[in-house]
Amino acid sequence: MNKILSDTINFGRQYLRTKVGAFFAFVFPILLIVLFGAVFTSGEGTGVSLPVQNLDSGPYSQVLIDILEQTGYFDISNISTDVVISEYVDDKSLTLALFIPDDFSSDISSNQTATVRLYGDPTKSSYMVSMVVLSAALDQLGYSVSGGAPIADIEQKSPGSKVLEPYDFLLPGFVGLTVMVSAMYFMTATCAEHRSRGYFKLLATTTLKKSEWLTSKFLFNSAMLIVSLLLTFIIAKTMFDLKASITPMSLVMVVVGTFMFTSLGMLFGTIAKDPESASAVSNIVGFPMMFLAGSFWDLSAAPFYLQAIAMAMPLTYLNNGLRDTMIYGNEASAAVNLVIVLVLGAIFFVLASRLMSWKEK
Amino acid sequence: MLKLIRVGGEEVVAGSSVVEVSELRKEYPPDVKAVDGVSFSIPKGIVFSLLGPNGAGKTTTVEILEGLRTPTSGQIRVLDVDAARDYSSIRKRIGVLPQNFEPFDLLNPIEAIAYWADLFEVSMSKKEVESRLDQVGLLHRKSIMSKNLSGGEKRKLGIALSLVNDPELLFLDEPTTGLDPRARRDLWKLIEDTKKKGTTVVLTTHYLDEAEKLADDVAIMHKGKIIAHGSPSQLIKKYGKKTAIVLVDAGPEGLKELSRRGIQAAKHDNDVIVEVSDPSELRVMFAKLSSIEVKYKEMYTRRQTLEDVFLGLIGAKMEEGVLQE
Repeated sequence: MNKILSDTINFGRQYLRTKVGAFFAFVFPILLIVLFGAVFTSGEGTGVSLPVQNLDSGPYSQVLIDILEQTGYFDISNISTDVVISEYVDDKSLTLALFIPDDFSSDISSNQTATVRLYGDPTKSSYMVSMVVLSAALDQLGYSVSGGAPIADIEQKSPGSKVLEPYDFLLPGFVGLTVMVSAMYFMTATCAEHRSRGYFKLLATTTLKKSEWLTSKFLFNSAMLIVSLLLTFIIAKTMFDLKASITPMSLVMVVVGTFMFTSLGMLFGTIAKDPESASAVSNIVGFPMMFLAGSFWDLSAAPFYLQAIAMAMPLTYLNNGLRDTMIYGNEASAAVNLVIVLVLGAIFFVLASRLMSWKEK
Repeated sequence: MLKLIRVGGEEVVAGSSVVEVSELRKEYPPDVKAVDGVSFSIPKGIVFSLLGPNGAGKTTTVEILEGLRTPTSGQIRVLDVDAARDYSSIRKRIGVLPQNFEPFDLLNPIEAIAYWADLFEVSMSKKEVESRLDQVGLLHRKSIMSKNLSGGEKRKLGIALSLVNDPELLFLDEPTTGLDPRARRDLWKLIEDTKKKGTTVVLTTHYLDEAEKLADDVAIMHKGKIIAHGSPSQLIKKYGKKTAIVLVDAGPEGLKELSRRGIQAAKHDNDVIVEVSDPSELRVMFAKLSSIEVKYKEMYTRRQTLEDVFLGLIGAKMEEGVLQE
């Protein structure tokens, strides 16, 4: 048998025989989607309360409110135009409120970027999710108004072509996050284990090259993630009436993303000497990416420096590409992100193959 | 054209040995000399043993020969190839059992052998794989996950893996450390069988009896240097004491009587010890002693071993690789 294929099969065999491996491959992503799906479906009929102060007399603010209502996520109520909203929010201890300024429609009409403000406690999960939903609503409004150009400063985004549920918007980020966690964390830990248990030394006595070993891990991770995500998608589709779809481009994104994160994981594996340090190294990079790379919410409303950090994160491009193809059907934009992910993956692959040493010092 | 290199102070023809090492050094900052100017050569088809306590530099030396470490300086030729430059070309001809070998926990022996054969690009049928396991006495455990094998079984699996490519040169780094006596004997048999097939074996060990039993050529390492080198019998002859006949509890009277008869002897505790310069003189000496009326509890021959050589050279005994200073 070809040695890369043999290494892939035998590595996969060992991986799947560990309960932890099987859990992260199949149970973990299903649990995540079930959990998130449940969060967004359990509130049916008792949506999140969203008081809105609309100072805009133009048409677009009302369209935005209509869109927000259609999501089914919000119970929308009006705040009088006579009050100062910041004081009103303080007085009523509101955890969430939306302010639409009087120039909202005119800005849009004059092709200027409008601004909306979402009041609330940013540490509350409902606020974070509301940001995602509002972002999606603004995107959809932009689509109907300008055919795709950004219209609002907070959560600016390409609009959706269909009425999507919040978990539809979460799906691409969730897929990207799963690719990162499964490939990068797993690979860093694998490298550390191989080193501490002497497996690298053992492999170094064979004809297997480091690049071949890395390739086999990529092949295994890709196959595992594709199967895992298809299973997850089928379950999510069945349980939550998912409207976002898995496109051919999204599968390519998953494979290329796996290539990138497997290589990055091996690169980190050159630093990690044991399983404990592997966990630390992965978390140092992985945790910020989980929250800043747009897996769960759009970062366009985030401070500039956070956006700059996000742009330096490989997961951002994977998430953007997945969102482009799965939500908006924008294959051209997805292809650009795909190329970025591929180039980053190639760089990580070469660096990891060169820097990783199976020899003793 | 023949190429001469210096090995152990002598010039030998390159290619006449399986391994040729000249002035090998491995240093770690700031001033650790793990291997300090070691030279030796290993002829084809023998068992060569690097013997010494933990930290002597055995594993460092052998891992350099295996291509797993980079030397600080020195010349190393393995299977007639410059090991520092072109190791990949000989990798298929070499088998390695690293120190503290651990098999992949979640592969059973059958899977592990087949996997290793693939990594050496060796085509093996299932029957051939089973034959390999039979060779090392693991066939009855072929479907057991490696993590559930005993220490001795794991080591046997390691040897089976290292032999999967029918290597010309086999490195075994402390293959019997920590094993029970029976498992050690089983592995000794395996090593002897491997040698019989023409494979050159490089064995590192801190067991003196193991080196004496298995090795044709022994290099004793201490503090990064080879302090003695030769066959076990050569080493014993050169560094050991003479073979002795011990008269237990013969006491001062026995010593006096032997002296009166012109036989040189010495008293140690209450025993009287008669040394013979050559083992061939033992029979004559036994005849002499039996003709003398000396009272003793029992009489036995004390043959010198590598342990005596080691004690003489290092000045300390060794237990499980640790010097008992």
